[in-house]
Amino acid sequence: MTIVEYFARRLAFVIPLVLGIVLITFLLVRLGGQEPTGLLAGPMATEAQMNLIRSELGLDKPIFEQFAIYLVNVLQGDLGKSWQSNSPVLDEILIRITASLELLLTSMALGALIGVPVGLRAALRPRGIFDQVSRAISLVSYSVPTYWMALMALFIFFLALGWAPPPMGRIDLAVFPPPTVTGSYFIDSLIAGDLEAAWSALGHLILPVCVFTLIVAAPIIKQTRAICLEVLSSDYIRMARLYGYGRKKVWRMTLRNALVPIVTYIGAELATLLAAVALVELVFSWGGLGQWGLNAILFGDFAAVQGYVLVLALFASIVYLIVDLIVLIAEPRAATR
Amino acid sequence: MTLLEVKDLHTHFVKRDLDNKTRVAKALNGVSFTLDQGEVLGLVGETGAGKSLTALSIMGGLPPSARITQGSIKFKSKELVGLPREELDEIRGRDITIIVQSPLTSLDPLARIGEQLIRVQTLHRRISREEARKNALRMLKAVQIPDPEGRMNAWPHEMSGGMAQRVLMALSLVNEPDLLIADEPTTGLDVTVQAQVLDLLLDLMRSRNMATIIITHDLGVVANYCTKVAVMFSGTVVEYGAVGDVIDNPQHPYTRELIDSIPDRIAQRGYRRVGGAPDLYDLPAGCLFRYRCPKADDACGTPPPSVRFGPNHTAACHHLTPASSAAD
Amino acid sequence: MTTTTMTPEGDETFRSRAFARIAGITYHSPAFTMGAIIVLIFAILAFAAPLLTPYGPTQTFPDHVLSPPNAQFWFGTDGNGMDIFTRVIYGARYGFGIAIPSLMLMLIIGVPAGLVAGYMGGLVDDILLRSFDVLRAFPTIVLALAVVAATGQSLLIVIAVIGFLEAPIFARIVRAEVLALRSGELVESAVVVGNPTWRILVLHILPNAITGATAQSAIRMAWAVRVSTTLAFIGVGIQAPAPEWGVMIRLGAEYINTGEWWIATFPGLALVGLVLGLNLLGDGAQQLLDPKSQDSR
Repeated sequence: MTIVEYFARRLAFVIPLVLGIVLITFLLVRLGGQEPTGLLAGPMATEAQMNLIRSELGLDKPIFEQFAIYLVNVLQGDLGKSWQSNSPVLDEILIRITASLELLLTSMALGALIGVPVGLRAALRPRGIFDQVSRAISLVSYSVPTYWMALMALFIFFLALGWAPPPMGRIDLAVFPPPTVTGSYFIDSLIAGDLEAAWSALGHLILPVCVFTLIVAAPIIKQTRAICLEVLSSDYIRMARLYGYGRKKVWRMTLRNALVPIVTYIGAELATLLAAVALVELVFSWGGLGQWGLNAILFGDFAAVQGYVLVLALFASIVYLIVDLIVLIAEPRAATR
Repeated sequence: MTLLEVKDLHTHFVKRDLDNKTRVAKALNGVSFTLDQGEVLGLVGETGAGKSLTALSIMGGLPPSARITQGSIKFKSKELVGLPREELDEIRGRDITIIVQSPLTSLDPLARIGEQLIRVQTLHRRISREEARKNALRMLKAVQIPDPEGRMNAWPHEMSGGMAQRVLMALSLVNEPDLLIADEPTTGLDVTVQAQVLDLLLDLMRSRNMATIIITHDLGVVANYCTKVAVMFSGTVVEYGAVGDVIDNPQHPYTRELIDSIPDRIAQRGYRRVGGAPDLYDLPAGCLFRYRCPKADDACGTPPPSVRFGPNHTAACHHLTPASSAAD
Repeated sequence: MTTTTMTPEGDETFRSRAFARIAGITYHSPAFTMGAIIVLIFAILAFAAPLLTPYGPTQTFPDHVLSPPNAQFWFGTDGNGMDIFTRVIYGARYGFGIAIPSLMLMLIIGVPAGLVAGYMGGLVDDILLRSFDVLRAFPTIVLALAVVAATGQSLLIVIAVIGFLEAPIFARIVRAEVLALRSGELVESAVVVGNPTWRILVLHILPNAITGATAQSAIRMAWAVRVSTTLAFIGVGIQAPAPEWGVMIRLGAEYINTGEWWIATFPGLALVGLVLGLNLLGDGAQQLLDPKSQDSR
């Protein structure tokens, strides 16, 4: 099977997934939600005015027709307008998504960089001291809610110690943000050669990244350890031992076989974390996609909620496709499955 | 010269149960046998008798909860019990190899068949990859795998059970070991293929004058392929001797039970068990077979003596005398 | 032994046997024992809340707004002048009040779904697996948020949403057990004897399948507590002034930057404690159920 065929098959799985999620949210938000009509028209509106707004928003049509219209619009790049800001949802998403990705991808990379080696080291000697300690730490950080850890970090490092800048955005108020290239203030400042801005952006990045890294590393440690132990107890590792492969060689074989499941796991985690990062954004007033999405949900901003969910679903799908590609390259069995 | 000498081997499993009691499963309770070059020993007995565990004890491949508590295993006069892993790793895979059960899951899924055959050679010998490659190919031909050149580049998941079994055979033979242990080498294979595989294996062993241990519950295999046999029950060898003596003139009641049950054996599933085997966690003193034995009486409460019937034939039972014959 | 002649012999052996069992469990999984103790403490807090504090959970002390921890208010008071210690203790009721019913819901939906899917196979199985994939592939917390925000801010809705979203996990566990058992001899012989399908499902497969689901239960309860408090923190679901930990952290978040740390800290610690306890319990149960766990090291 060629890679193209393989991807065609994966897409056949991903597209219904995205459609399904978009439909579910569409139905939930439209059927269960309070209409924005009243909020838009104000308390003094007459029934006629309300109807006018309804038909303007297309809310008088049957729900599946509304969904069909929405889908057609989405395919043309029109995600509708946020009634809160009255600007196109797509624009709102595009100016915010890099801020979220900056936070998410940095933390995820660090989390994997810490989590995988720690998990491996723990699996090397199960129930040894290192294993017990790392297990305890990861269990605790697994049980700490993201937002509370962020609040505590803020209290300690901003208020008590004064090391961190105030939790108000991604750069000091007195510093001009760099011209947008990637959307990450830190990288953009470096590109613009503005060291002061870069320093400020970095300062704002450190604390939220540290908090989120701790959150994402815990399950990676746990899973890496479990995967390694499973490989170590497999028939082929037992056979390798019986054939005189020494500890190092057995360990190398284990790593090689554990790699694909670990990458798959990290991918699956990453796919769902774009939503979780919202909580960190909220506490640090990060101004990213997540904070905006939560706000849209709270205020029943239909188009914005739909757009947010769509982006989350697309992001998850893209991550899954990338993971599939990695697996396809690293794992001979995948291509024949 | 004696190649392998296993003497009074005891292997126990230790676990602690949920009531915080340490429980010991006495899985092997004094296994002894010897093997010379060119000999083929059959280890026969029902599931749980300790056949595979004997093999794993020799290979140093016991699970973490198992310990050799007593006895010795001498290979070419070298004591294997307590040997550091580094030294053991120089012997296993080169001088002693094993054909494990479950062939489909025992090959490294991320290495091609050829690579695995080459790897096991370069691990143990100073040999060029080119030379190792030639050996590998020769070995695949010897185990009669169709299209050996093509199979060198195949992945394990592309193998059928029978093919994987042959690859395992090739792996076990490619370093030309002095001793090969074949653990149920024919389970999972078609009946028609079983004989073919065994014929092939034994031809290859004989042509190199290697010693072989075949673990099986099939007395037919023992009769056809082995030179000597050790009949195991509950971790003990109850009867031991040359195949001719033991099969034609069985002494121990358990051996007789095995031979009597051949006609109505339930294919692939081992033997119809007349009764259970004793609980390994709570072994009684004395003869372990006495709860199933037609001859059991009060005398069986003490450990049975080893009774000799010929230069190469012994059985452990209270109710045998060296003079007694097959007709009882 | 000589001084215990007063107690009947049976009691004595029962007690020593119970101690041995506890010691054995602790030896194999210290996590289980630790988790059990933590969860037990929280259960006691939830039950005995009115006995442990002289104040009511929403009682305000206008003269003591934002007072730091002191002898009268152990954990201090919040911006409304409510005693945080009291509210933290009452919060345990919300924790269990959400975790237990939503677990029940997960089981009520998930176990039959898994039984049927595993036993029937075919289309039913496909639909179940596919819907599970969709839920797995997507951050369910956002769905929960959207649903709760859209359908109303009540405790019942929160429980229902959590129960529905996590039910597929149990369905999958039970389904896997059923598939393993269906090919086994136990069910085979039940079919041969002529048992009707429902009887085989209920009598033969269910008890075995349940075992596989028990270890997951504590972990799912931990998840339910986390999600419900997260929703409350964001401002969806349970609302102030309810003494719910998420609500309390939300109230305290405003004050973190001005130094009133105690408002958000103590409910958070309680939340971490209960979630950790449940996770330890679940982790430990998994260890104990693993047949290899009793091997000596």
